Amino acid sequence: MSGSLAAMTDKRNGKYRTAGILAVIVIGLFLFTIFSGLK
Amino acid sequence: MSDAAHAHDDHSHGHPSGIMRWLTTTNHKDIGTMYLWFALIMLFSAGTMALLIRAELFQPGLQITHPDFFNQLTTMHGLIMIFGAIMPAFSGFANWQVPLMIGAPDMAFPRMNNWAFWLLPVAATMLMASFLLPGGAVAGGWTMYPPLFIQGGISYDLTILAVHIMGLSSIMGSINIATTILNMRAPGLTLMKMPLFVWTWLITAYLLIATMPVLAGAVTMLLTDRNFGTHFFNAAGGGDPVMFQHIFWFFGHPEVYILILPAFGIVSQIIPTFARKPLFGYASMVYATASIAILSFTVWAHHMFAVGMPVAAQLFFMFSTMLIAVPTGVKIFNWVATMWKGSLTFETPMLFAIAFVCLFTIGGFSGLVLAIAPVDIQLQDTYYVVAHFHYVLVSGALFSIFAGIYYWLPKWTGHMYNETLGKWHFWLSVIGMNILFFPMHFLGLAGMPRRIPDYALQFTEFNQIATYGAFIFGFSQLIFLVLVLKTIKGGAKATDRVWEGAEGLEWTLPSPAPYHTFETAPVVK
Repeated sequence: MSGSLAAMTDKRNGKYRTAGILAVIVIGLFLFTIFSGLK
Repeated sequence: MSDAAHAHDDHSHGHPSGIMRWLTTTNHKDIGTMYLWFALIMLFSAGTMALLIRAELFQPGLQITHPDFFNQLTTMHGLIMIFGAIMPAFSGFANWQVPLMIGAPDMAFPRMNNWAFWLLPVAATMLMASFLLPGGAVAGGWTMYPPLFIQGGISYDLTILAVHIMGLSSIMGSINIATTILNMRAPGLTLMKMPLFVWTWLITAYLLIATMPVLAGAVTMLLTDRNFGTHFFNAAGGGDPVMFQHIFWFFGHPEVYILILPAFGIVSQIIPTFARKPLFGYASMVYATASIAILSFTVWAHHMFAVGMPVAAQLFFMFSTMLIAVPTGVKIFNWVATMWKGSLTFETPMLFAIAFVCLFTIGGFSGLVLAIAPVDIQLQDTYYVVAHFHYVLVSGALFSIFAGIYYWLPKWTGHMYNETLGKWHFWLSVIGMNILFFPMHFLGLAGMPRRIPDYALQFTEFNQIATYGAFIFGFSQLIFLVLVLKTIKGGAKATDRVWEGAEGLEWTLPSPAPYHTFETAPVVK
Protein backbone atom coordinates (compact mmCIF):
# COMPACT_ATOMS: atom_id res chain seq x y z
CA MET A 1 0.00 0.00 0.00
CA SER A 2 2.64 2.57 1.04
CA GLY A 3 4.81 1.40 -1.86
CA SER A 4 2.02 2.07 -4.33
CA LEU A 5 1.41 5.52 -2.81
CA ALA A 6 5.12 6.33 -3.10
CA ALA A 7 5.04 5.22 -6.73
CA MET A 8 1.99 7.45 -7.27
CA THR A 9 3.81 10.45 -5.77
CA ASP A 10 6.81 9.80 -8.02
CA LYS A 11 4.54 9.53 -11.03
CA ARG A 12 2.71 12.75 -10.16
CA ASN A 13 6.02 14.58 -9.75
CA GLY A 14 6.86 13.52 -13.30
CA LYS A 15 4.10 15.73 -14.71
CA TYR A 16 6.49 18.57 -15.57
CA ARG A 17 8.66 16.23 -17.63
CA THR A 18 5.63 14.85 -19.52
CA ALA A 19 4.30 18.34 -20.23
CA GLY A 20 7.78 19.54 -21.24
CA ILE A 21 8.19 16.74 -23.76
CA LEU A 22 4.74 17.44 -25.23
CA ALA A 23 5.47 21.18 -25.42
CA VAL A 24 8.74 20.52 -27.28
CA ILE A 25 6.82 18.35 -29.77
CA VAL A 26 4.30 21.18 -30.29
CA ILE A 27 7.00 23.80 -30.91
CA GLY A 28 8.91 21.42 -33.19
CA LEU A 29 5.86 20.68 -35.32
CA PHE A 30 5.01 24.38 -35.61
CA LEU A 31 8.53 25.26 -36.76
CA PHE A 32 8.65 22.25 -39.11
CA THR A 33 5.39 23.38 -40.75
CA ILE A 34 6.75 26.87 -41.39
CA PHE A 35 10.04 25.36 -42.61
CA SER A 36 8.08 23.16 -45.07
CA GLY A 37 6.48 26.31 -46.42
CA LEU A 38 9.85 27.96 -47.00
CA LYS A 39 11.07 25.24 -49.35
CA MET B 1 -17.08 9.18 2.68
CA SER B 2 -18.31 10.48 6.01
CA ASP B 3 -20.45 13.62 6.39
CA ALA B 4 -17.50 15.32 8.12
CA ALA B 5 -15.40 14.68 5.05
CA HIS B 6 -18.15 16.16 2.86
CA ALA B 7 -18.28 19.25 5.02
CA HIS B 8 -14.59 19.74 4.37
CA ASP B 9 -14.95 19.08 0.67
CA ASP B 10 -17.89 21.35 0.01
CA HIS B 11 -16.39 24.75 0.75
CA SER B 12 -13.88 26.55 -1.39
CA HIS B 13 -11.18 27.73 1.02
CA GLY B 14 -11.98 31.45 0.96
CA HIS B 15 -11.90 31.71 -2.80
CA PRO B 16 -13.50 34.83 -4.24
CA SER B 17 -17.21 34.73 -4.96
CA GLY B 18 -19.28 36.09 -7.84
CA ILE B 19 -17.59 36.79 -11.15
CA MET B 20 -14.11 36.65 -9.60
CA ARG B 21 -14.72 33.05 -8.59
CA TRP B 22 -15.20 32.11 -12.22
CA LEU B 23 -12.38 34.30 -13.53
CA THR B 24 -9.80 32.95 -11.10
CA THR B 25 -10.97 29.40 -10.47
CA THR B 26 -8.51 26.55 -10.89
CA ASN B 27 -11.02 23.87 -9.92
CA HIS B 28 -11.57 21.31 -12.66
CA LYS B 29 -15.31 21.15 -11.99
CA ASP B 30 -15.75 24.94 -12.24
CA ILE B 31 -13.70 25.03 -15.42
CA GLY B 32 -15.60 22.06 -16.86
CA THR B 33 -18.87 23.85 -16.13
CA MET B 34 -17.60 27.01 -17.85
CA TYR B 35 -16.51 25.04 -20.93
CA LEU B 36 -19.97 23.46 -21.17
CA TRP B 37 -21.86 26.76 -20.80
CA PHE B 38 -19.54 28.42 -23.30
CA ALA B 39 -20.15 25.57 -25.75
CA LEU B 40 -23.92 25.87 -25.27
CA ILE B 41 -23.85 29.63 -25.96
CA MET B 42 -21.77 29.02 -29.08
CA LEU B 43 -24.13 26.20 -30.14
CA PHE B 44 -27.08 28.58 -30.01
CA SER B 45 -25.11 31.36 -31.76
CA ALA B 46 -23.94 29.19 -34.65
CA GLY B 47 -27.32 27.40 -34.64
CA THR B 48 -29.05 30.73 -35.21
CA MET B 49 -26.75 31.28 -38.19
CA ALA B 50 -27.76 27.84 -39.49
CA LEU B 51 -31.46 28.77 -39.19
CA LEU B 52 -30.80 31.97 -41.17
CA ILE B 53 -29.06 29.87 -43.83
CA ARG B 54 -31.99 27.45 -43.99
CA ALA B 55 -34.54 30.30 -44.04
CA GLU B 56 -32.74 31.80 -47.04
CA LEU B 57 -32.75 28.41 -48.78
CA PHE B 58 -36.46 27.80 -48.16
CA GLN B 59 -37.14 28.83 -51.74
CA PRO B 60 -35.10 29.81 -54.79
CA GLY B 61 -34.08 33.41 -55.27
CA LEU B 62 -32.74 35.79 -52.63
CA GLN B 63 -35.10 36.19 -49.65
CA ILE B 64 -33.49 37.61 -46.55
CA THR B 65 -29.71 37.73 -46.97
CA HIS B 66 -27.26 39.39 -49.31
CA PRO B 67 -25.12 36.68 -51.03
CA ASP B 68 -21.95 37.91 -49.33
CA PHE B 69 -23.66 37.83 -45.92
CA PHE B 70 -24.84 34.30 -46.73
CA ASN B 71 -21.21 33.27 -47.28
CA GLN B 72 -20.26 34.94 -43.99
CA LEU B 73 -22.96 32.92 -42.26
CA THR B 74 -21.80 29.56 -43.68
CA THR B 75 -18.16 30.34 -42.84
CA MET B 76 -18.83 31.52 -39.29
CA HIS B 77 -21.32 28.70 -38.67
CA GLY B 78 -18.57 26.18 -39.44
CA LEU B 79 -15.80 27.92 -37.51
CA ILE B 80 -17.91 28.53 -34.41
CA MET B 81 -19.53 25.10 -34.32
CA ILE B 82 -16.16 23.33 -34.61
CA PHE B 83 -13.89 25.55 -32.49
CA GLY B 84 -16.52 27.14 -30.25
CA ALA B 85 -19.16 24.48 -29.63
CA ILE B 86 -18.09 20.86 -30.20
CA MET B 87 -14.42 21.03 -29.13
CA PRO B 88 -15.07 23.08 -25.96
CA ALA B 89 -17.99 20.81 -25.04
CA PHE B 90 -15.69 17.78 -25.09
CA SER B 91 -13.08 19.77 -23.13
CA GLY B 92 -15.84 20.42 -20.58
CA PHE B 93 -16.50 16.70 -20.28
CA ALA B 94 -12.74 16.03 -19.97
CA ASN B 95 -12.40 18.63 -17.21
CA TRP B 96 -15.33 17.31 -15.24
CA GLN B 97 -14.86 13.61 -15.77
CA VAL B 98 -11.20 12.71 -16.31
CA PRO B 99 -10.04 13.54 -12.74
CA LEU B 100 -13.17 11.85 -11.31
CA MET B 101 -12.66 8.74 -13.45
CA ILE B 102 -8.95 8.30 -12.69
CA GLY B 103 -9.13 9.22 -9.00
CA ALA B 104 -7.10 12.46 -9.31
CA PRO B 105 -7.72 15.51 -7.09
CA ASP B 106 -7.67 17.90 -10.09
CA MET B 107 -6.01 18.37 -13.47
CA ALA B 108 -2.20 18.25 -13.57
CA PHE B 109 -1.89 22.01 -14.20
CA PRO B 110 -4.90 23.83 -12.72
CA ARG B 111 -3.67 27.38 -13.47
CA MET B 112 -2.94 26.51 -17.10
CA ASN B 113 -6.42 24.99 -17.18
CA ASN B 114 -7.90 28.37 -16.23
CA TRP B 115 -5.89 30.10 -18.97
CA ALA B 116 -6.84 27.51 -21.58
CA PHE B 117 -10.52 28.21 -20.93
CA TRP B 118 -10.41 32.00 -20.70
CA LEU B 119 -8.60 32.31 -24.03
CA LEU B 120 -11.73 30.89 -25.70
CA PRO B 121 -14.23 33.71 -24.96
CA VAL B 122 -11.58 36.19 -26.14
CA ALA B 123 -11.21 34.36 -29.45
CA ALA B 124 -14.98 33.89 -29.83
CA THR B 125 -15.58 37.60 -29.20
CA MET B 126 -13.03 38.45 -31.88
CA LEU B 127 -14.76 36.11 -34.32
CA MET B 128 -18.26 37.40 -33.60
CA ALA B 129 -17.13 41.04 -33.57
CA SER B 130 -15.83 40.63 -37.10
CA PHE B 131 -19.48 40.80 -38.28
CA LEU B 132 -19.38 44.49 -37.26
CA LEU B 133 -16.23 45.37 -39.21
CA PRO B 134 -16.24 47.03 -42.65
CA GLY B 135 -16.92 44.28 -45.19
CA GLY B 136 -18.40 42.01 -42.52
CA ALA B 137 -17.07 38.69 -41.24
CA VAL B 138 -14.94 36.24 -43.17
CA ALA B 139 -16.76 34.70 -46.13
CA GLY B 140 -14.12 32.41 -47.61
CA GLY B 141 -15.24 29.16 -45.97
CA TRP B 142 -14.11 27.65 -42.65
CA THR B 143 -11.18 26.00 -44.48
CA MET B 144 -9.57 29.45 -44.98
CA TYR B 145 -8.25 28.64 -48.46
CA PRO B 146 -6.03 31.15 -50.23
CA PRO B 147 -6.28 33.13 -52.48
CA LEU B 148 -9.62 34.27 -50.95
CA PHE B 149 -8.17 34.39 -47.46
CA ILE B 150 -5.21 36.46 -48.65
CA GLN B 151 -7.42 38.98 -50.44
CA GLY B 152 -10.12 39.69 -47.80
CA GLY B 153 -10.41 42.67 -45.43
CA ILE B 154 -9.52 43.24 -41.78
CA SER B 155 -11.92 40.57 -40.52
CA TYR B 156 -9.65 37.95 -42.11
CA ASP B 157 -6.73 39.09 -39.93
CA LEU B 158 -8.99 39.01 -36.90
CA THR B 159 -10.14 35.48 -37.75
CA ILE B 160 -6.57 34.25 -38.25
CA LEU B 161 -5.65 35.68 -34.86
CA ALA B 162 -8.75 34.10 -33.29
CA VAL B 163 -7.76 30.72 -34.77
CA HIS B 164 -4.28 31.17 -33.29
CA ILE B 165 -5.77 31.86 -29.86
CA MET B 166 -8.22 28.95 -30.05
CA GLY B 167 -5.37 26.69 -31.19
CA LEU B 168 -3.25 27.82 -28.24
CA SER B 169 -6.16 27.08 -25.92
CA SER B 170 -6.54 23.60 -27.41
CA ILE B 171 -2.81 22.88 -27.12
CA MET B 172 -2.72 23.98 -23.47
CA GLY B 173 -5.84 21.94 -22.76
CA SER B 174 -4.58 18.82 -24.50
CA ILE B 175 -1.14 18.91 -22.82
CA ASN B 176 -2.96 19.26 -19.51
CA ILE B 177 -5.34 16.36 -20.21
CA ALA B 178 -2.60 14.04 -21.53
CA THR B 179 -0.36 14.82 -18.54
CA THR B 180 -3.25 14.33 -16.13
CA ILE B 181 -4.04 10.91 -17.58
CA LEU B 182 -0.41 9.80 -17.77
CA ASN B 183 0.77 11.10 -14.38
CA MET B 184 -2.21 11.56 -12.06
CA ARG B 185 -3.94 8.16 -12.08
CA ALA B 186 -4.83 6.50 -8.79
CA PRO B 187 -2.61 3.61 -7.66
CA GLY B 188 -3.60 0.39 -9.40
CA LEU B 189 -5.36 2.13 -12.29
CA THR B 190 -3.22 0.85 -15.14
CA LEU B 191 -3.74 2.10 -18.68
CA MET B 192 -5.72 -0.99 -19.67
CA LYS B 193 -8.06 -0.53 -16.70
CA MET B 194 -8.94 3.05 -17.60
CA PRO B 195 -12.54 3.83 -18.62
CA LEU B 196 -12.94 4.09 -22.40
CA PHE B 197 -13.81 7.79 -22.14
CA VAL B 198 -10.39 8.45 -20.58
CA TRP B 199 -8.68 6.38 -23.28
CA THR B 200 -10.41 8.21 -26.11
CA TRP B 201 -9.48 11.57 -24.58
CA LEU B 202 -5.82 10.51 -24.18
CA ILE B 203 -5.69 9.64 -27.88
CA THR B 204 -7.58 12.83 -28.77
CA ALA B 205 -5.05 14.86 -26.76
CA TYR B 206 -2.22 13.30 -28.79
CA LEU B 207 -4.10 14.15 -32.00
CA LEU B 208 -4.49 17.76 -30.87
CA ILE B 209 -0.81 17.99 -29.92
CA ALA B 210 0.17 16.64 -33.34
CA THR B 211 -2.18 18.72 -35.48
CA MET B 212 -2.84 22.09 -33.83
CA PRO B 213 0.76 23.30 -34.37
CA VAL B 214 0.34 22.42 -38.07
CA LEU B 215 -2.81 24.57 -38.28
CA ALA B 216 -1.00 27.33 -36.39
CA GLY B 217 1.85 27.14 -38.90
CA ALA B 218 -0.55 27.31 -41.85
CA VAL B 219 -2.46 30.35 -40.56
CA THR B 220 0.82 32.04 -39.56
CA MET B 221 1.93 31.73 -43.18
CA LEU B 222 -1.45 33.16 -44.27
CA LEU B 223 -0.90 36.06 -41.89
CA THR B 224 2.59 36.82 -43.22
CA ASP B 225 1.34 36.51 -46.82
CA ARG B 226 -1.33 39.09 -45.99
CA ASN B 227 0.77 41.53 -43.99
CA PHE B 228 4.50 40.99 -44.44
CA GLY B 229 4.97 40.45 -48.18
CA THR B 230 5.72 36.72 -48.12
CA HIS B 231 4.43 34.46 -50.88
CA PHE B 232 3.91 31.07 -49.26
CA PHE B 233 0.55 30.61 -50.96
CA ASN B 234 0.59 33.38 -53.55
CA ALA B 235 1.10 31.91 -57.03
CA ALA B 236 2.01 35.35 -58.44
CA GLY B 237 5.04 35.43 -56.13
CA GLY B 238 6.08 31.81 -56.72
CA GLY B 239 3.98 30.36 -53.88
CA ASP B 240 1.56 27.46 -54.05
CA PRO B 241 -2.08 27.77 -52.92
CA VAL B 242 -2.48 23.99 -53.16
CA MET B 243 0.22 23.61 -50.52
CA PHE B 244 -2.14 25.35 -48.09
CA GLN B 245 -4.76 22.72 -48.80
CA HIS B 246 -2.26 19.93 -48.09
CA ILE B 247 -1.16 21.53 -44.80
CA PHE B 248 -4.70 22.46 -43.80
CA TRP B 249 -6.10 18.99 -44.37
CA PHE B 250 -3.13 17.35 -42.63
CA PHE B 251 -4.64 19.14 -39.65
CA GLY B 252 -8.25 18.99 -40.87
CA HIS B 253 -8.79 15.27 -41.17
CA PRO B 254 -7.37 14.32 -37.75
CA GLU B 255 -9.56 17.22 -36.53
CA VAL B 256 -12.58 15.17 -37.61
CA TYR B 257 -11.42 12.45 -35.21
CA ILE B 258 -10.70 15.04 -32.52
CA LEU B 259 -14.41 15.80 -32.81
CA ILE B 260 -15.57 12.18 -32.78
CA LEU B 261 -13.18 10.11 -30.61
CA PRO B 262 -14.43 11.63 -27.32
CA ALA B 263 -17.93 10.91 -28.63
CA PHE B 264 -16.93 7.25 -28.98
CA GLY B 265 -15.72 7.40 -25.38
CA ILE B 266 -18.99 8.82 -24.05
CA VAL B 267 -21.07 6.23 -25.90
CA SER B 268 -18.75 3.48 -24.66
CA GLN B 269 -19.55 4.55 -21.09
CA ILE B 270 -23.31 4.81 -21.60
CA ILE B 271 -24.16 1.65 -23.54
CA PRO B 272 -22.72 -0.81 -20.95
CA THR B 273 -24.54 1.08 -18.15
CA PHE B 274 -27.97 0.77 -19.76
CA ALA B 275 -27.31 -2.72 -21.14
CA ARG B 276 -26.15 -3.76 -17.65
CA LYS B 277 -23.23 -5.62 -19.19
CA PRO B 278 -19.50 -4.89 -19.37
CA LEU B 279 -18.33 -3.31 -22.62
CA PHE B 280 -17.78 -6.04 -25.21
CA GLY B 281 -14.16 -6.15 -26.45
CA TYR B 282 -12.57 -3.48 -24.25
CA ALA B 283 -9.04 -4.08 -25.55
CA SER B 284 -10.17 -4.10 -29.16
CA MET B 285 -11.95 -0.77 -28.54
CA VAL B 286 -8.68 0.73 -27.31
CA TYR B 287 -6.70 -0.62 -30.26
CA ALA B 288 -9.43 0.44 -32.73
CA THR B 289 -9.37 4.00 -31.33
CA ALA B 290 -5.58 4.15 -31.63
CA SER B 291 -5.75 2.69 -35.17
CA ILE B 292 -8.30 5.31 -36.24
CA ALA B 293 -6.05 8.06 -34.84
CA ILE B 294 -2.94 6.76 -36.63
CA LEU B 295 -4.77 6.19 -39.92
CA SER B 296 -6.26 9.69 -39.74
CA PHE B 297 -2.80 11.09 -40.61
CA THR B 298 -2.69 9.15 -43.89
CA VAL B 299 -5.93 10.25 -45.56
CA TRP B 300 -5.86 14.05 -45.79
CA ALA B 301 -5.80 14.35 -49.59
CA HIS B 302 -9.25 12.74 -49.96
CA HIS B 303 -10.53 16.26 -49.19
CA MET B 304 -8.81 17.55 -52.32
CA PHE B 305 -9.12 14.88 -55.03
CA ALA B 306 -10.48 17.64 -57.29
CA VAL B 307 -7.19 19.61 -57.30
CA GLY B 308 -5.69 16.86 -59.43
CA MET B 309 -3.07 14.36 -58.33
CA PRO B 310 -1.32 11.27 -59.74
CA VAL B 311 -3.46 8.13 -59.99
CA ALA B 312 -1.15 6.37 -57.52
CA ALA B 313 -1.80 9.13 -54.96
CA GLN B 314 -5.56 8.95 -55.58
CA LEU B 315 -5.47 5.19 -55.04
CA PHE B 316 -3.40 5.53 -51.86
CA PHE B 317 -5.70 8.12 -50.29
CA MET B 318 -8.81 6.27 -51.46
CA PHE B 319 -7.78 2.95 -49.93
CA SER B 320 -6.33 4.44 -46.75
CA THR B 321 -9.65 6.24 -46.24
CA MET B 322 -11.60 3.02 -46.74
CA LEU B 323 -9.25 1.28 -44.31
CA ILE B 324 -10.53 3.52 -41.48
CA ALA B 325 -13.89 1.77 -41.85
CA VAL B 326 -12.30 -1.38 -40.38
CA PRO B 327 -11.50 -0.12 -36.84
CA THR B 328 -14.68 1.99 -36.94
CA GLY B 329 -16.63 -1.16 -37.79
CA VAL B 330 -14.98 -2.92 -34.85
CA LYS B 331 -16.36 -0.23 -32.57
CA ILE B 332 -19.88 -0.37 -34.02
CA PHE B 333 -19.80 -4.17 -33.72
CA ASN B 334 -18.67 -3.96 -30.09
CA TRP B 335 -21.43 -1.49 -29.14
CA VAL B 336 -24.06 -3.74 -30.74
CA ALA B 337 -22.51 -6.81 -29.09
CA THR B 338 -22.62 -5.01 -25.72
CA MET B 339 -26.36 -4.47 -26.17
CA TRP B 340 -26.91 -8.05 -27.36
CA LYS B 341 -28.87 -9.96 -24.71
CA GLY B 342 -28.39 -7.12 -22.24
CA SER B 343 -31.07 -5.95 -19.81
CA LEU B 344 -31.70 -2.84 -21.82
CA THR B 345 -33.57 0.21 -20.57
CA PHE B 346 -34.11 3.31 -22.64
CA GLU B 347 -33.49 6.41 -20.55
CA THR B 348 -32.57 9.56 -22.49
CA PRO B 349 -28.76 9.01 -22.43
CA MET B 350 -29.26 5.52 -23.90
CA LEU B 351 -31.68 6.83 -26.55
CA PHE B 352 -29.12 9.39 -27.71
CA ALA B 353 -26.37 6.73 -27.60
CA ILE B 354 -28.39 4.31 -29.75
CA ALA B 355 -29.28 7.14 -32.17
CA PHE B 356 -25.56 7.91 -32.29
CA VAL B 357 -24.69 4.33 -33.28
CA CYS B 358 -27.36 4.18 -36.02
CA LEU B 359 -27.00 7.67 -37.48
CA PHE B 360 -23.22 7.98 -37.19
CA THR B 361 -23.07 4.78 -39.23
CA ILE B 362 -25.06 6.51 -41.99
CA GLY B 363 -22.51 9.34 -41.92
CA GLY B 364 -19.70 6.78 -42.03
CA PHE B 365 -21.20 5.01 -45.04
CA SER B 366 -21.66 8.25 -46.99
CA GLY B 367 -18.00 8.94 -46.12
CA LEU B 368 -17.07 5.65 -47.75
CA VAL B 369 -19.00 6.70 -50.87
CA LEU B 370 -17.06 9.97 -50.93
CA ALA B 371 -13.77 8.12 -50.45
CA ILE B 372 -14.10 6.69 -53.97
CA ALA B 373 -12.05 9.21 -55.97
CA PRO B 374 -14.15 9.22 -59.20
CA VAL B 375 -17.38 9.53 -57.18
CA ASP B 376 -15.87 12.29 -55.03
CA ILE B 377 -14.96 14.32 -58.11
CA GLN B 378 -18.67 14.24 -59.06
CA LEU B 379 -19.93 15.02 -55.57
CA GLN B 380 -17.23 17.50 -54.51
CA ASP B 381 -18.79 20.67 -53.07
CA THR B 382 -22.36 19.37 -53.39
CA TYR B 383 -24.97 18.95 -50.68
CA TYR B 384 -24.05 15.25 -50.47
CA VAL B 385 -20.89 16.33 -48.64
CA VAL B 386 -22.95 18.64 -46.40
CA ALA B 387 -25.27 15.72 -45.57
CA HIS B 388 -22.29 13.43 -44.88
CA PHE B 389 -20.45 15.62 -42.42
CA HIS B 390 -23.61 16.73 -40.62
CA TYR B 391 -24.56 13.09 -40.01
CA VAL B 392 -21.07 12.66 -38.51
CA LEU B 393 -21.01 15.89 -36.51
CA VAL B 394 -24.66 16.38 -35.49
CA SER B 395 -25.97 12.87 -34.98
CA GLY B 396 -22.41 11.83 -34.10
CA ALA B 397 -20.59 14.43 -32.03
CA LEU B 398 -23.55 16.56 -30.88
CA PHE B 399 -25.82 13.63 -29.98
CA SER B 400 -23.01 12.09 -27.93
CA ILE B 401 -22.65 15.43 -26.10
CA PHE B 402 -26.37 15.38 -25.30
CA ALA B 403 -26.06 11.74 -24.22
CA GLY B 404 -23.13 12.58 -21.95
CA ILE B 405 -24.88 15.55 -20.38
CA TYR B 406 -28.00 13.50 -19.58
CA TYR B 407 -25.76 10.74 -18.23
CA TRP B 408 -23.58 12.83 -15.91
CA LEU B 409 -25.87 15.81 -15.14
CA PRO B 410 -27.29 14.10 -12.00
CA LYS B 411 -23.71 13.56 -10.75
CA TRP B 412 -22.84 17.21 -11.45
CA THR B 413 -25.98 18.86 -10.07
CA GLY B 414 -27.22 16.32 -7.53
CA HIS B 415 -30.65 16.31 -9.19
CA MET B 416 -32.32 13.96 -11.66
CA TYR B 417 -33.37 15.63 -14.88
CA ASN B 418 -36.98 15.47 -16.09
CA GLU B 419 -37.17 12.24 -18.12
CA THR B 420 -40.32 13.33 -20.00
CA LEU B 421 -38.67 16.54 -21.17
CA GLY B 422 -35.55 14.56 -22.04
CA LYS B 423 -37.54 12.18 -24.23
CA TRP B 424 -39.32 15.10 -25.96
CA HIS B 425 -35.92 16.61 -26.63
CA PHE B 426 -34.60 13.33 -28.00
CA TRP B 427 -37.49 12.52 -30.32
CA LEU B 428 -37.85 16.05 -31.70
CA SER B 429 -34.07 16.21 -32.22
CA VAL B 430 -33.79 12.87 -33.94
CA ILE B 431 -36.82 13.48 -36.17
CA GLY B 432 -35.88 17.10 -36.93
CA MET B 433 -32.28 16.18 -37.64
CA ASN B 434 -33.23 13.49 -40.16
CA ILE B 435 -35.79 15.72 -41.90
CA LEU B 436 -33.07 18.37 -42.08
CA PHE B 437 -30.12 16.39 -43.35
CA PHE B 438 -31.42 13.28 -45.13
CA PRO B 439 -32.88 15.17 -48.13
CA MET B 440 -29.49 16.80 -48.60
CA HIS B 441 -28.18 13.46 -49.92
CA PHE B 442 -30.72 13.68 -52.76
CA LEU B 443 -29.94 17.36 -53.37
CA GLY B 444 -26.24 16.57 -53.62
CA LEU B 445 -26.74 13.58 -55.90
CA ALA B 446 -28.88 15.82 -58.12
CA GLY B 447 -26.01 18.31 -58.27
CA MET B 448 -26.95 21.15 -55.93
CA PRO B 449 -23.73 22.96 -54.97
CA ARG B 450 -23.05 24.01 -51.37
CA ARG B 451 -22.29 27.56 -50.19
CA ILE B 452 -24.83 29.28 -52.49
CA PRO B 453 -27.82 31.41 -51.39
CA ASP B 454 -29.83 30.68 -54.55
CA TYR B 455 -30.53 27.50 -56.52
CA ALA B 456 -32.30 26.07 -59.54
CA LEU B 457 -36.05 25.45 -59.29
CA GLN B 458 -35.82 21.65 -59.32
CA PHE B 459 -34.15 21.66 -55.89
CA THR B 460 -37.03 23.52 -54.18
CA GLU B 461 -38.99 20.67 -52.55
CA PHE B 462 -36.07 18.97 -50.82
CA ASN B 463 -34.80 22.36 -49.64
CA GLN B 464 -38.19 23.19 -48.15
CA ILE B 465 -38.30 19.84 -46.35
CA ALA B 466 -34.77 20.46 -45.01
CA THR B 467 -35.76 23.90 -43.74
CA TYR B 468 -38.81 22.49 -41.91
CA GLY B 469 -36.46 19.96 -40.29
CA ALA B 470 -33.99 22.70 -39.36
CA PHE B 471 -36.60 24.66 -37.45
CA ILE B 472 -37.93 21.54 -35.68
CA PHE B 473 -34.38 20.59 -34.72
CA GLY B 474 -33.35 24.14 -33.81
CA PHE B 475 -36.31 24.98 -31.60
CA SER B 476 -36.28 21.58 -29.89
CA GLN B 477 -32.93 22.62 -28.39
CA LEU B 478 -34.83 25.13 -26.27
CA ILE B 479 -36.34 22.11 -24.46
CA PHE B 480 -32.79 21.06 -23.65
CA LEU B 481 -31.98 24.51 -22.28
CA VAL B 482 -35.11 24.50 -20.08
CA LEU B 483 -34.32 20.97 -18.90
CA VAL B 484 -30.75 21.86 -17.90
CA LEU B 485 -31.87 25.00 -16.04
CA LYS B 486 -34.62 23.08 -14.24
CA THR B 487 -32.19 20.33 -13.24
CA ILE B 488 -29.68 22.82 -11.83
CA LYS B 489 -32.46 24.53 -9.88
CA GLY B 490 -33.96 21.42 -8.35
CA GLY B 491 -35.61 18.07 -8.92
CA ALA B 492 -35.54 14.62 -7.45
CA LYS B 493 -32.38 13.94 -5.45
CA ALA B 494 -29.86 11.86 -7.37
CA THR B 495 -28.31 8.87 -5.65
CA ASP B 496 -24.53 8.45 -5.57
CA ARG B 497 -24.53 5.77 -8.23
CA VAL B 498 -27.37 7.43 -10.20
CA TRP B 499 -27.73 4.56 -12.74
CA GLU B 500 -28.20 0.94 -11.68
CA GLY B 501 -25.62 -0.38 -14.13
CA ALA B 502 -23.02 2.38 -13.75
CA GLU B 503 -19.45 1.33 -12.95
CA GLY B 504 -16.41 3.47 -12.20
CA LEU B 505 -14.78 5.73 -9.63
CA GLU B 506 -17.02 8.75 -10.30
CA TRP B 507 -20.06 6.81 -9.06
CA THR B 508 -18.42 6.15 -5.68
CA LEU B 509 -18.67 9.90 -4.96
CA PRO B 510 -21.74 11.65 -3.56
CA SER B 511 -24.13 13.47 -5.92
CA PRO B 512 -23.44 16.31 -6.50
CA ALA B 513 -19.73 15.62 -6.57
CA PRO B 514 -18.08 17.71 -3.79
CA TYR B 515 -15.96 20.73 -4.76
CA HIS B 516 -12.79 18.79 -3.89
CA THR B 517 -12.63 15.08 -4.61
CA PHE B 518 -10.04 12.33 -4.24
CA GLU B 519 -7.71 14.43 -2.09
CA THR B 520 -6.73 11.01 -0.79
CA ALA B 521 -6.22 8.79 -3.80
CA PRO B 522 -8.43 5.71 -4.04
CA VAL B 523 -6.74 2.40 -4.68
CA VAL B 524 -8.02 0.50 -7.69
CA LYS B 525 -7.91 -3.28 -7.45
